[in-house]
Amino acid sequence: MPSVFAHIKSWSVLTCFLSSLLIPSLSSADLALNMPKGSTPVSEMVYDLHMIILYICVVIAIIVFGVMFWSIFHHRKSKGHKPANFHESTTVEVIWTAIPLLILIVMAIPATEGVFAMYDTEDSEVDIQVTGYQWKWRYQYMGEDVEFFSNLSTPKEQILNQQSKGEHYLLEVDEPVVVPVNKKIRFLLTSNDVIHAWWVPELAVKKDAIPGFINETWTYITEPGVYRGQCAELCGKDHGFMPIVVKAVEESEYLDWLNQKKQLRLAELAKAAAEAEQTWDMNRLMTTGKDVYEKNCLACHQAQGEGLPPVFPALKGSPIIKGEIEDHINIVLRGKTGTAMAAYGPQLSDAEIAAVVTYERNAWGQNDAWKENKGETVQPADVAKLR
Amino acid sequence: MNDTVANPDSNSVPDHDHHQPSGLSRWLLTTNHKEIGTLYLIFSFVMLFIGGGMAFVIRAELFQPGLQFVDPNFFNQMTTMHGLIMVFGVVMPAFVGLANWMVPLMIGAPDMALPRMNNWSFWIMPFAFGMLLSSLFMEGGGPNFGWTFYAPLSTTYAPPSTTFFIFGVHLMGLSSIMGAINIITTIMNMRAPGMTLMKMPMFVWTWLITAFLLIAVMPVLAGCVTMMLMDIHFGTSFFNAAGGGDPVMFQHIFWFFGHPEVYIMILPAFGVVSQIIPAFSRKKLFGYHSMVYATASIALLSFVVWAHHMFTVGLPVAAELFFMYATMLIAVPTGVKVLTGLQPCSKVR
Repeated sequence: MPSVFAHIKSWSVLTCFLSSLLIPSLSSADLALNMPKGSTPVSEMVYDLHMIILYICVVIAIIVFGVMFWSIFHHRKSKGHKPANFHESTTVEVIWTAIPLLILIVMAIPATEGVFAMYDTEDSEVDIQVTGYQWKWRYQYMGEDVEFFSNLSTPKEQILNQQSKGEHYLLEVDEPVVVPVNKKIRFLLTSNDVIHAWWVPELAVKKDAIPGFINETWTYITEPGVYRGQCAELCGKDHGFMPIVVKAVEESEYLDWLNQKKQLRLAELAKAAAEAEQTWDMNRLMTTGKDVYEKNCLACHQAQGEGLPPVFPALKGSPIIKGEIEDHINIVLRGKTGTAMAAYGPQLSDAEIAAVVTYERNAWGQNDAWKENKGETVQPADVAKLR
Repeated sequence: MNDTVANPDSNSVPDHDHHQPSGLSRWLLTTNHKEIGTLYLIFSFVMLFIGGGMAFVIRAELFQPGLQFVDPNFFNQMTTMHGLIMVFGVVMPAFVGLANWMVPLMIGAPDMALPRMNNWSFWIMPFAFGMLLSSLFMEGGGPNFGWTFYAPLSTTYAPPSTTFFIFGVHLMGLSSIMGAINIITTIMNMRAPGMTLMKMPMFVWTWLITAFLLIAVMPVLAGCVTMMLMDIHFGTSFFNAAGGGDPVMFQHIFWFFGHPEVYIMILPAFGVVSQIIPAFSRKKLFGYHSMVYATASIALLSFVVWAHHMFTVGLPVAAELFFMYATMLIAVPTGVKVLTGLQPCSKVR
């Protein structure tokens, strides 16, 4: 025993010295290889906990591997060493059961405090309901009449390598989540279809969005800034294409934005109501319909209505398109249970649904009469009747 | 009366015509543990390259940002199939092959206890994986929901080939369960006289414990995929909240299998290491009793840590803490095994 310990001593002194040279650079602000320190008390706690445990593991590794490599090298057969004949030692067994147990208890204490902190969603000042969809997020600010969808805004051309990629490739959206700094924000997570997960690394927030359930999590951002995250639970083909952008701003800016959003929403609702009264002509229906289709339907049913059968059926020339208009409107409004077709009634206005149904029935060469402003149209009133 | 001089090759007893089959019959119908072990190893090797090829597709696509070679849906099929093949088609059959070869030899048995069942355990595998691989070519493509196939992505939103995936899992599970029964029966009943349990080589011990894990959890996996089948085809709502079910329950059931599964994959490897180190240190395994008890503790503890795969699903805080502590606890017997295993390297003179 004594000779082994003598060697351990010199090895560990040397390696501790070497690693101490590395430690400052390892813990300096946001080394690209390390996890971010983040801008919330929770993210800092998570970072600190991670670093403590990492250091403990590094020391243990140096000792264990050090002894191992030295023993193997020093006692190799070619040097004439003969194996010693001992194969039990209760003392040693007790020591290397007790010491790891103690180390674990030391780790478990801050870890437990951390878990309790992450679970404490009481007394929030802003509550946001986050719903995962295939393949976008929807945000509803509880108690305020503000809600919107947040879609990936990276252009398809960048994804298909036809254009050079922007700085925030696949991490940018059309509508970020705007929140105030220095206020406790609670997120209520759920899903419209499959399990998604809402993850923003710099806030140290990650929680699953599960259909039929509501999960709670919270954050408290101390630094204004833009924090980008991703969906963290495989949810289908565009799982990698539904990012999250959180914009943390001073409270006054937040209140302004909130107001703006409310006005916009009222305007939207008024517009939808007005449009629902109007009679739309073919051209207007087809143009709006194309927009709505590209934003909502194209991901599954594809650009020419060809779909990805059998999970995402083709629209072009399909029984639904050729059949009764009522059935077509109904399937868009209510979805189809037991399939991936979601209900778009809550998401789209009467005019939008009328437009997209008209588009689907006439586009892709199915009926070119629309180009002369002729053909069978679906009016917003038709949709309203079926809601 | 013997004709050994005139005909040296024939027996002196009446000839019962023991023709050894050759060719296809030999390999299709063998009950010999070495031949079956070889079959498993060859199968595993072939699957290694198939799964490895899929890994290359993944890495080629991910080498640069943007879509270069495959579309996202096919990419998801590659990641799913790669996982399924490596877990169920490479690692598990490879260790079963090693067990078939080594366990009878190491305990002094003439063969496995149930040689014909042994043969069937193997031959199920090529059929199960043939079916799984063929699903890639079916309409709608193969499984694309990850090797952990969470519902409802794998039920309501899955391609039609999922039914074949489920069937493949059932078959492969059957093979594993029968193999495990065979291993336990062999080890418990056919050890050479004088070989008590605490005199067996470590590889045999780790496989004995692994076999118990297999019998305990493969039926759970079978139950899980059967519930999926019910949800997909028979209108049940096991994993559909709208019908009163629970997608998180899927995860609990899957990981109750999934965690012991990873120990099933590593325990035989621990056994192999415990054989290699003493051989090359030229001395007996240190702390044999601790190694056995530590392995058994790891196996036992592996049943109570499954939710560490579910820390973000929204478990109650008490559950989250329990699973965290239990997971940390497993480090103790594992550490004992590592440190014990390293002993033979030291204190040589």
